[in-house]
Amino acid sequence: MISQKGLVLERLLSGEFICRVSYEDGFRFLQDSQNAAQIEAQLNLLNRTLSTAVEGEVYFAGYLALADKERKVLERQFKEITSNLLPLTEWLLLVQESSGKDIPLTQGSAIRLNELQTTIEDTPALAEQLAKISAYPLFNSTSKTADGQIKQVFKRLTELGYLQKPNPEKLIYIATGKLDYIYEVIRFIDETESLSLTEQAEAAMQQGSLL
Amino acid sequence: MRDNFTQAGGKFLRALSRHSDLIMQAYLSGTVDEGAYSAQVLDNLQNLGILWRPDPESDLRLRRVVRALLEEGLSDERNRQVDANIGGALKKVTTLVAHYKEACDKHRFAEAGAHLADLTELTYAMIDSLKQGVRALWARIHKEFGYVASIDAKIRENQLAQSQVSEMLAQLELFEFDKLAQLAGGNRDLRRLLVVTMQSNFSSITQELSLAQSRLTELLGRFREFQGKTRLLKGFVLHLEQQPDYQPAAYAKHSLVPELFNLADNIIKPASVDVNNPEHELDLSQIVGRLKAIYHLKSQPAASATQAIQVESMAEVELDENLVKQEVEAYFCQIIDSGERQSALEYHQCAQLEFDKEVWLYQVIGEYDALPDSEKSFFEIEKSLKDHPVFNGNKIIEDVELWFS
Repeated sequence: MISQKGLVLERLLSGEFICRVSYEDGFRFLQDSQNAAQIEAQLNLLNRTLSTAVEGEVYFAGYLALADKERKVLERQFKEITSNLLPLTEWLLLVQESSGKDIPLTQGSAIRLNELQTTIEDTPALAEQLAKISAYPLFNSTSKTADGQIKQVFKRLTELGYLQKPNPEKLIYIATGKLDYIYEVIRFIDETESLSLTEQAEAAMQQGSLL
Repeated sequence: MRDNFTQAGGKFLRALSRHSDLIMQAYLSGTVDEGAYSAQVLDNLQNLGILWRPDPESDLRLRRVVRALLEEGLSDERNRQVDANIGGALKKVTTLVAHYKEACDKHRFAEAGAHLADLTELTYAMIDSLKQGVRALWARIHKEFGYVASIDAKIRENQLAQSQVSEMLAQLELFEFDKLAQLAGGNRDLRRLLVVTMQSNFSSITQELSLAQSRLTELLGRFREFQGKTRLLKGFVLHLEQQPDYQPAAYAKHSLVPELFNLADNIIKPASVDVNNPEHELDLSQIVGRLKAIYHLKSQPAASATQAIQVESMAEVELDENLVKQEVEAYFCQIIDSGERQSALEYHQCAQLEFDKEVWLYQVIGEYDALPDSEKSFFEIEKSLKDHPVFNGNKIIEDVELWFS
């Protein structure tokens, strides 16, 4: 039997994010500072370090020292993340609007695909938005129907680790901590580049309500 | 007097039950649909104080008391009323205590008993309304204001609840237990009511209220976080709409890469199959069993091409087998020729055969058993056996003797 430590190490070295939803046992294991120190020592051997984000809700492996080779990888990853930001943001807003609850998706939120699909299919504006989102290279759907589009989007998101499907027979998806990571990336860019995104949104909403 | 009350009460309750559909309709929609019911019924209900008309132009509505009764009974979350007029109730308490004391002093015990009953009712009602307020607050907290949809509305509801909590706490400060204790004096009944009952309920209510207050603050924080997240997303999309060519700064190229973007590449690839590991044998064979044969990949002419090579290797194997067989036949022939009893091992030695002794014996026995019955009868066989030292009942064949009969 492979130990908990081995399992955690394997996931980290595979480039996965460990959070409460994606791998609860591993997450608890890493919360213990002694275990985290052990993992850190193992990762250091391979020039990696245990990193956390979203206030300690997500663990992943980062590089310890950066040489040219590592920088190349980071640049590639960064490009991937930033090019995925818009499709993911639009998808998050779509789900939020369709659910009618006005609550953003965060770690642990459940999405019932059937309900979501019915709402989107019944609302032409949302269906249009879905068609736009599913055509992004990230999701790369060629389907003409909302059914095919939404299934492709969810399939890709599950593959990428943003969603988890706890029961293979049920169409219920749970959001993982990696989604919160996306919020954090946007917030980071917003703060560092002083984009004042929140204020822009507020101003736009006020203008909208005046109209 | 009492009969009168019972009768009137019965009439009131019967009216409630007889017109329950009307009352529920009024409860749910807010007003009574006057066209659907006869004027007599409506008049009757108005006289009983179940319905009322706020002003001549408006529709008939339910009286607040009836509505409150239903809200309480149905634990309806729309009930947001928190009644906390403690100051007034406390004044009533002082007044009733004065009445009671006066009646006691003048030895009018029946009157004193009535005052005490009123006082008890008032005290319990006060406690009940406070508890009800706390319960209603908690019900709303538990549902996280689920009865309103948008986060902005939830924040407003939360603020309302917070102000109600502060108000209740302010009202509770009006309780002055030293004054109540003074008021109760040495009277046992008054003391039990005003000091013991009040105080224990007071402390539990204050505790629950402060818990509710902290929970509300926490919820408000969460709602604000949700609001912030949504605005962040909307702002981002908006920003990209206004500046389609926007690219975030290349943080990965900075000398100090932020931890957020320092994501290591995956270096673990799936391990390969080790067919020599006996522990994996079962799993591997199951996997192989699950593999589906792909028929269209089988090319037909392959079979005929390999045929020529197969024949030769088969012949060689047969030759090998025949060597032992031939020797056994020679052994049999010698027995026929000599007509004497001879042990198989002796022959093995004499002929200086190279086979293993065990293989030799096995082959001899095998060949004997393989003879047709008619030929078998020419030979007699005897095995020299030895018991196995460990396993009971097992015999070891040490040698075989054959002779011609």
